[in-house]
Amino acid sequence: MIKHILFVLAVGLATGYFASNFVVAFPLSWVTYYLFDVSLLVLLFVMGLAFGVDREAVAKLRSTGLKVLVIPLLVALGSIFGGLVGGLIFGLDLFGSMAVTAGFGWYTLAGPLLTQVLGSQWGALGFVANFLRELLTIVSVSLMVKVDKYAPVASGGATTMDTTLPVIVRYCGKDVLIVAFSSGFALSIAAPFVVMAIASLK
Amino acid sequence: MFDFSVLVLVVPLALGIACGFLLRGRKIVNLSRITFGVILVLIFSLGFTIGSNNDLLTSLPSVGVSALVMALLAIGFSVFFVLLARRRLRF
Repeated sequence: MIKHILFVLAVGLATGYFASNFVVAFPLSWVTYYLFDVSLLVLLFVMGLAFGVDREAVAKLRSTGLKVLVIPLLVALGSIFGGLVGGLIFGLDLFGSMAVTAGFGWYTLAGPLLTQVLGSQWGALGFVANFLRELLTIVSVSLMVKVDKYAPVASGGATTMDTTLPVIVRYCGKDVLIVAFSSGFALSIAAPFVVMAIASLK
Repeated sequence: MFDFSVLVLVVPLALGIACGFLLRGRKIVNLSRITFGVILVLIFSLGFTIGSNNDLLTSLPSVGVSALVMALLAIGFSVFFVLLARRRLRF
């Protein structure tokens, strides 16, 4: 998954660089506007479809009781608070920096969304910051599980429903599966709304 | 392209959920594959947008450091809040 994404990102970067500096066979806006916006709209539609069609998704959310609701809420608050502190450290616009960390590690969403709303500078920061969150989570699972069983779930944010889930379950045990999945799921559903809401305050 | 407001992005999500409800119980195509395919297209155009923006490329080295710190802060406070709640509320 990550290998494919990094490869495609590198190809996109190289193609974009050459297209803008050397040969221009077509208007750049074909990719930067049309392809970009259409694929973002399609992605949001398919995400909604996958949620609506999954009968068990809602049942899974209810089945593990309080943890399922409390953990994603605390992770959301922690992430946004982290963004606030980061914004203060670097002297950035605070709503911008909180919107960046409100991606909860879902860089494929946060990057494009912030580019759309706040411009490509914020998009780049949102993409890299959330990408590093996923990467750091995968790398540090074996260390974090020693601190607490649910620490890797908190670290992974929205990614614990897909990319980081296999690694987390391997180190934290099978019983963490439902909490990890549902926490990632709730944060994934919340992420677009929270990012948009905070970004629109800027 | 359409210069749409942020809120317009809620429409495809809500539309997708509504369609999903209507299609319940039917065997439909592998959605995760489609999602992944669309993600790759999106990532390509994201890379293209960043790569074709020369102002952005020159600012990337500075973004890297703040992005790393932001990621660490987001992880740190998320873990800290969950730990605090687990110790205090014993859940």
